[in-house]
Amino acid sequence: MAKYLLKRILYMVFVFFIVSIVMFAITKAVPGDPARNMVSEQLAATDPERYQIAYQNAREALGLDDPIPIQYVKWMGQTLTGNFGYSNQYKKPVVEVVGTPMLNTVALNLASLVLVFAIAIPLGIVSAVKQKSVFDQAVQVGSIIGYSLPTFVISLVFIFLFAIKIPIFPISGTSTPGADYTGLRAFGDYMYHMGLPLLVSTFCSIGGILRYVRAAMIDALREDYIRTARAKGLREKVVIYSHAFRNALIPIVTIVTSWFVSIFGGSVVIESIFLWNGLGNTMLTALRNLDSPLYLAMMMFYVVITLIGNLLMDIAYCIADPRVKLQ
Amino acid sequence: MSKKEKKRPSSFSLMFRRLFGIQEKERDILKEEQMQSPFRTIVRNFVSNKVSMFGTIVFVLIFLTVFIGSAIYPLDVNFQDTTQQNVSPGFNMMSVPKELKSNAQQISVGATFGVGIDQNGKLYQWGKLSDKLKKMPDTNAKYTQVSAGFNHALALTEDGNVVTWGYDRLGLNNIPFEVKDATDVKQILAGYQMSFVVTEGGELYYWGNPNAMSITIPDEVQGNIEKVVANLSTAFALTKDGQVVMLSNSTTPFANIPEEIQGQVMDVAANDRAAAAVTADGQVHVWGTNDYNLFEVPEAVQGSVSAIAGGRFHFSVLTNEGTVYSWGNDMYNQSSAPELTGITQLDSGYFQNYAIDAGGNVTGWGLKGYLFGTDQYGRDVALRMLAGGRMTMTIGAIAVIISTIIGVIIGGISGYYGGWIDNILMRLTEIVMSIPFLPLAIVLSSIVGNKLSEVGRISMIMVILGFLSWPGLARLIRAQVLSAREQEYVTAAKAMGIREFTLIFRHILPNVITVVIVNTTLSFATCLLTESSLSFIGFGVVEPSPTWGNMLNSAQSSDVIANMWWRWVFPSIALSLAVVSINLIGDGMRDAIDPKSNER
Repeated sequence: MAKYLLKRILYMVFVFFIVSIVMFAITKAVPGDPARNMVSEQLAATDPERYQIAYQNAREALGLDDPIPIQYVKWMGQTLTGNFGYSNQYKKPVVEVVGTPMLNTVALNLASLVLVFAIAIPLGIVSAVKQKSVFDQAVQVGSIIGYSLPTFVISLVFIFLFAIKIPIFPISGTSTPGADYTGLRAFGDYMYHMGLPLLVSTFCSIGGILRYVRAAMIDALREDYIRTARAKGLREKVVIYSHAFRNALIPIVTIVTSWFVSIFGGSVVIESIFLWNGLGNTMLTALRNLDSPLYLAMMMFYVVITLIGNLLMDIAYCIADPRVKLQ
Repeated sequence: MSKKEKKRPSSFSLMFRRLFGIQEKERDILKEEQMQSPFRTIVRNFVSNKVSMFGTIVFVLIFLTVFIGSAIYPLDVNFQDTTQQNVSPGFNMMSVPKELKSNAQQISVGATFGVGIDQNGKLYQWGKLSDKLKKMPDTNAKYTQVSAGFNHALALTEDGNVVTWGYDRLGLNNIPFEVKDATDVKQILAGYQMSFVVTEGGELYYWGNPNAMSITIPDEVQGNIEKVVANLSTAFALTKDGQVVMLSNSTTPFANIPEEIQGQVMDVAANDRAAAAVTADGQVHVWGTNDYNLFEVPEAVQGSVSAIAGGRFHFSVLTNEGTVYSWGNDMYNQSSAPELTGITQLDSGYFQNYAIDAGGNVTGWGLKGYLFGTDQYGRDVALRMLAGGRMTMTIGAIAVIISTIIGVIIGGISGYYGGWIDNILMRLTEIVMSIPFLPLAIVLSSIVGNKLSEVGRISMIMVILGFLSWPGLARLIRAQVLSAREQEYVTAAKAMGIREFTLIFRHILPNVITVVIVNTTLSFATCLLTESSLSFIGFGVVEPSPTWGNMLNSAQSSDVIANMWWRWVFPSIALSLAVVSINLIGDGMRDAIDPKSNER
């Protein structure tokens, strides 16, 4: 196990570096001069000479005149030591820029995760137990529709229904503009604004998880030990919840793990529609404004998250099911 | 032997029957077991699954509609029309009220509506009426003249008052006091955010948005005006001595009024590409820009024209014999004039024409409305949905083909050869898998996107989608090949000395092909979704080329969601139906192929 993990982590480091080279090269190919963004525009009009000097200084500070490989090594060195660069757009270090959005994204995704599993697991179990019943068929078709519908279509429909026709929720944002709430009031306002994006993201992901739970449960119910348990004369409830569900949990646990990691990555579509100030939205504005230090740092963050997610999933599988041996 | 017995099914129908498992008669179970090939079993399972058959039918319908429809009704992607913005769906633009249909006195065509008065002076209006237009002026008054404009209308009462209703900003409701006082109004004209009035004394008054068109009336013309006509950018006056004068100082082609007609003009008309005048000898002279063959006046009418009217891109004329002709742009059949006789009055405007005969009977031709309405640039949503659907599906299909080819090759090689090749390829797969998809696609499209042509950009999106979505399939194929490699039939084939190439493609591949088909179907749906999401946030296919995703891009504001539902509901339905039906098909296929599912 330890040997396997070591090997896995080595591979991960290797993949991380390759991806970082690819990302860096792509970023360098994006048109636009980050040094120009650092120098104030006004100076160019009022004092061209000082502007030139300031521009040259900025170029030097960013190391834009070095060859690309050297720039990469410098950037990588800084990134590894925790210096993620300086956002051109916000004129602030990247770490400061992503602080609040990350909190918002985690809050939204965590709430959605809890809701999704709270709904999907019981529904999945019931539909697996009552397989081929009308209820099961309805759940099946409903879940296909749920995961097939594009996120933005669901968002538009939900906005139309719950913010315009029946104005329960605000259309967008993270807090009431102008309102200066504190304490519990501010938290309430925040939750109120989270309502609609939470509803949409739950609706969009419930279908996939539901089908997964159902499949896991059906597989578990077909095992020999279930037949044995039934033959022993155990009550059906015990058979389902104690014998079958515990074994069905194995694949479910793994998917929860991978989801747990993905709560750090925001959904670009949902956040941009609801103007939810999260990571996805920050990424989108960074890309629109060609703020390369910011989106490069964020993309590397996504890469690390994906890699860690895969690793955690394997470990979780191993822990949940002692029969699995990693090698 | 009788003829009936001799008749055998053609080989084509036999093939068809065998392919889809249609049997002539019931066989007993044992026989059937022996007769049915695995492929036929799969087809049988699939066909017997009602849900997936439903998905198949829906998808085929969408596919055919989109591809055949966009071939029959091609889309001019650059077409825009400011006069047809945000028109709601429906075909009531030309539904003249029944009471007016047989005793009309005059009808005037507005951008999306019509206004008319009957022979008793009663006012009617129909078509796509904005809330402000619906507030009609006093309906008990008697009217003698009406004129409909872009989004407002004018009417002249029996006692010489000019009333305006509809859009009231931009100074449109500020009727000049000279007009209010005047008792000898001769002509009223509602144009594009402009209103004109000509008095018997030949004076022209105008009011409205001065930015829409700048009007200058030469001193020698004022007081000598017979009639005024206007299009979206300029206006022309016909003087009492038969001269045509352009009422704005510009050097557009509209200023090239032929010298030889001056002094003998009977009637004048203007559309948004050209202007035309009828001289005393019944000849039509056209000047301006020769778009839509506007200069080609039908030979049949030359010499006998008595009146002319202009639409947005077409002209209609009334001849001395009482017949009507139209020419120019025929996008909405507005130039397909019916064969009529005894017509005494003709009015054209925008995309419609109405002819009235001596008895007051009305015949109209032209644009009736839009099936799914129009968007913020006045483009037909239904047409854009057809073209957009074709674009979305083409991009999805090509992306899936690319990713399937890469996935099968990499997964196959990796699984079959194993060892260090497998190791390298799996690392590669891991690298591609850990690249965040949407951000990378956005970065790539913003780097190369601006340098490329439209076709280049679209192909780039296909390639990005294809090159980033193969890892899942590659892993699946690798696992399948790994298990197939250990099967006895492969060992047997190897023992027989079959070449490696043949072994992979003739023996192993057919055994994993079902997995490939199912995966391809499901990832087609994913590709549709990804492309639409990308276009929706503005980084995929961009305007003016339509896709179902970018048609929804402009629908993010709450105003559009609430008030212009047709702009987002129809593309959403099309996209959702397509993705759901593909997923149903894929799901049904997986169930049909998986032998375990038969026991379930």
